[in-house]
Amino acid sequence: MSLIDFTPFISLAVFGLAVTPAGLLGEGKARRTIAPSISMIGLFLALGSAIWLGFSAAQTPGPGAIMSTDIFTYFFTGVLLVVAIFVGVASLSFMRGDPNEAPYFGLLILSTLGMIVLAASLDLILLYVGWELMSIPTYALTAFRKSDPNSNEAAMKFFVLSALSSALIVYAISLVFGISGSTNLIAIANTFGSITPDVRPFGVLAIVLFIVGFGVKMAVVPFHMWIPDAFEGAPTTIGALLAAGAKMAAFAAAFRVFIIAIGPFHVEWHSIFAIIAIVTMTLGNLAALMQKSFTRLLAYSSIAQAGYIMIAFATPNGQAIAGGLFHVLNYSILKTAAFIAATAVATRLSISNLDSFNGLAKRMPQTSINIAVLFLGLAGVPPLSGFFSKALLFAGAVNSSLPWGGYLAIAGLLNSGFSMGYYGWLIKRMYFDEPSDGSRIPEPRSYMAVLWAATALTIIIGLYPQPWIQLSQDAANALKVLGPQA
Amino acid sequence: MFGILTVAIFLPAAMGLPVYVLGRRNIRLARLLGVGTTAAELVVTLIILGVFSYGIGGFQLAEKVDWASSFGLTYHVALDGISLPLLLIATILSFLAAYGSTDLIKEREPEYYALFLLFETGIIGVFTSLDLILFYVFWEIVLVPMFFFVGIWGGPRKKYASMKFLIFTYTGSVIMLFGFLAVYAWTSSQGNPTFDYTELVGRVGGLALPLQLAASIATFVGFAVKLPIVPFHTWLPDAHVEAPAPVSVLLAGLLLKMGGYGLIRFNLLFFPAATNVLWPYFAAIGLVTMIYGASVAIVQRDLKRMIAMTSINHMGYVLLGAFTLNGIGLSGAVFQMFNHALAIGILFLMSGYIHEHAGTRNIDELTGLRGKMPLTVTLLVLGSMAAMAVPGLSNFISEYFVIQGALRASYFFAIAIVAPALTVGYFLWMLRRVVMTPGVGARNEISLHSLAILAAFLIPLFVLGAYPGPLLDSIIRATTNPLAPGGP
Repeated sequence: MSLIDFTPFISLAVFGLAVTPAGLLGEGKARRTIAPSISMIGLFLALGSAIWLGFSAAQTPGPGAIMSTDIFTYFFTGVLLVVAIFVGVASLSFMRGDPNEAPYFGLLILSTLGMIVLAASLDLILLYVGWELMSIPTYALTAFRKSDPNSNEAAMKFFVLSALSSALIVYAISLVFGISGSTNLIAIANTFGSITPDVRPFGVLAIVLFIVGFGVKMAVVPFHMWIPDAFEGAPTTIGALLAAGAKMAAFAAAFRVFIIAIGPFHVEWHSIFAIIAIVTMTLGNLAALMQKSFTRLLAYSSIAQAGYIMIAFATPNGQAIAGGLFHVLNYSILKTAAFIAATAVATRLSISNLDSFNGLAKRMPQTSINIAVLFLGLAGVPPLSGFFSKALLFAGAVNSSLPWGGYLAIAGLLNSGFSMGYYGWLIKRMYFDEPSDGSRIPEPRSYMAVLWAATALTIIIGLYPQPWIQLSQDAANALKVLGPQA
Repeated sequence: MFGILTVAIFLPAAMGLPVYVLGRRNIRLARLLGVGTTAAELVVTLIILGVFSYGIGGFQLAEKVDWASSFGLTYHVALDGISLPLLLIATILSFLAAYGSTDLIKEREPEYYALFLLFETGIIGVFTSLDLILFYVFWEIVLVPMFFFVGIWGGPRKKYASMKFLIFTYTGSVIMLFGFLAVYAWTSSQGNPTFDYTELVGRVGGLALPLQLAASIATFVGFAVKLPIVPFHTWLPDAHVEAPAPVSVLLAGLLLKMGGYGLIRFNLLFFPAATNVLWPYFAAIGLVTMIYGASVAIVQRDLKRMIAMTSINHMGYVLLGAFTLNGIGLSGAVFQMFNHALAIGILFLMSGYIHEHAGTRNIDELTGLRGKMPLTVTLLVLGSMAAMAVPGLSNFISEYFVIQGALRASYFFAIAIVAPALTVGYFLWMLRRVVMTPGVGARNEISLHSLAILAAFLIPLFVLGAYPGPLLDSIIRATTNPLAPGGP
């Protein structure tokens, strides 16, 4: 293990810190372009190095390592950087002319750094550092439109709940440290397998606190209340970062903690996840059916999608975890792009109202066709990417020896059926309804670049899923190999 | 490796984008390329018919390539005596419907023909794939164009009909997917997980009965929604009536056959032990569907709605015939799908032409139509004869096979004979008003090439009615052998 293995982290740290001061340099046009250019260089450098290292230098971490450079780390790093790049490219248009462009990009990159640290950490202290590094910039970003009361309200709600979740995680960490005498996940796994009855309740309490703490960011029911308000109030590009980036990073942390450290604990913690998964996907989908605002619809659909991924925790066999990771990959691309589409629409139309989507196909044809494909992908219609990850996930659930596996798969499949109610309904609005105003709306090039890239990825992954399934399985194996060995 | 079946499957989809892009500049080019591709597809199918060996059972022209081996997925396509007639009918009907569209579809044509070609790829993929997930992929590819067809080019209640169609069939599909995943999960618990049909057919026999029943019922629901059976049929009248006439041809002629084909391939022949338990129930549902469809058709006033209900009636034969568990009933079911597609195709397309020329589809208002459209009315009589299964047309052979097979399975199914009687009843009632009344009004015939398209539907029915020959023979060969060990 050498310093080169940490290139993605180092490049984000260096460029993230450099963006804000660099943005103060120069005059006029140069001043406006310098911060975005540096940010994009940093993000692409990080992504390129993560892909290269993932293929060439991924290794199983040794005992006592606090940060891993295994394939799981690079998998999440890649996914999260793609999200950050999508958000960054869209922000080129979104933030144009804003006086605070440089701090915006700086915060974006530092938050991304927090996310990938979270995915890499094998130590609870580092995990907490990553958690805070991810969260703090997003508070500021959510409140970025400081004269907009909605943005402030969203940021306040988000901040209070996030701070609460951080506090709960710290408490959970302290309990786990008290029980096991270590903050290293692998060392914890060794002690949790042979826990004595007198400290058992503390172990259970720690698990519950972890579930609540991570659950707030993962947006699973019943910790999802802040999501629709925050996504609606925040600048829509930041909605994308929260919905795909921060949320998936929280999933990465949860995978690390639950699959590695808590795995051997002889309590039926899987059943809690089974209940949460079913409730989350059902409530998310049913609530999404009733929304009148596009961002709120996206928010509830992201809650429902979190429910599907939770299946991987409820039936943690290799296939379900691989399916969960594959779904993380697909969901991140689809959901980020869906939010960018919302941004494109929001520039000219009121996004708080789904009626403005009536006949959108005639007004914004490129945006509409992309939304249609992305939504079909989220619903899980083959041959788009979302179908294969759901199929892998549900097959893993059915295959599980745990008694609720089959029910989880049935719930997931039926929910996919319900979800067509709102995904299809929006496509109906865009293509079958007549617009109240038939004028064409300009579609900024940077938004379209993101949308077409996401649509292309969705179709490519769907038509040839083999390498992506293989990648998810490798990442799942890298995760499981650190956990308890049967 | 890849071969002619791959060409047959992907040729239309590959032409979809050129049709859209070039068609936006020139509408005539969109029509020409759209119809031309379906014609080329028909030629490819005729070549396949030429190289197919009729004397033997089993799968032919197989192509198998790894697709996603980590998940047990293969690209595996092949043909046998069950899928061959369906491939043929898919390409014939696509060509005739595309050609008919040139008269009946007047707006957003580039999009229409591009989606049409995507639909054709989906439907041919469904009839040829031998991997459960590949099958499911094509199965769902069909859904999307159909949703847009009804939603964009449909009648007054198109939005309602398209959403209802989407939600019904998509929910059915995901339930079916559960059946597939359950089988897959079982194979992976045995080691060597696979979705490959030919491999699974040999292994599924070892699946425990309760799991086999669950998987069988789950797939049955998915196929039954498409077929459709009572009580999952309510999407059908709405979608058929709202869809433009050529799309109704595709819906009734091909989309419903997906349900029938799936039932035979992925339910009946796939879960032998479950089928031995469930067949009386499934066959009884088929019987109910036949009689229900016919009874409801009697009271329809809208010509197109009546024809839509005829579909429910005729697809009930497929379900009944398949689950008689004998070769004669099953081959009747397969042949019935072929014949029904043509008979319903001519009737739906004709209802579109009549609506356009006479301004109404109400049977009462169509009284005296023969004064206006004598040639069309003649074809209407011939098409109705096909739907009534008059001897001499191949529909008679298939319905006879189904009822004969049903009688061999149980004398209880003798009730099935009520269905053809009812069918004859409502068709004659309709013909009495529309045709057997004094002609009214000046002559306003549809164009000659429209008449030629309509007549083309009838030719195979008359030819196969007189000489069912190798087609029926290959169906019988394909359906008799697999049933032999488990069947009664």
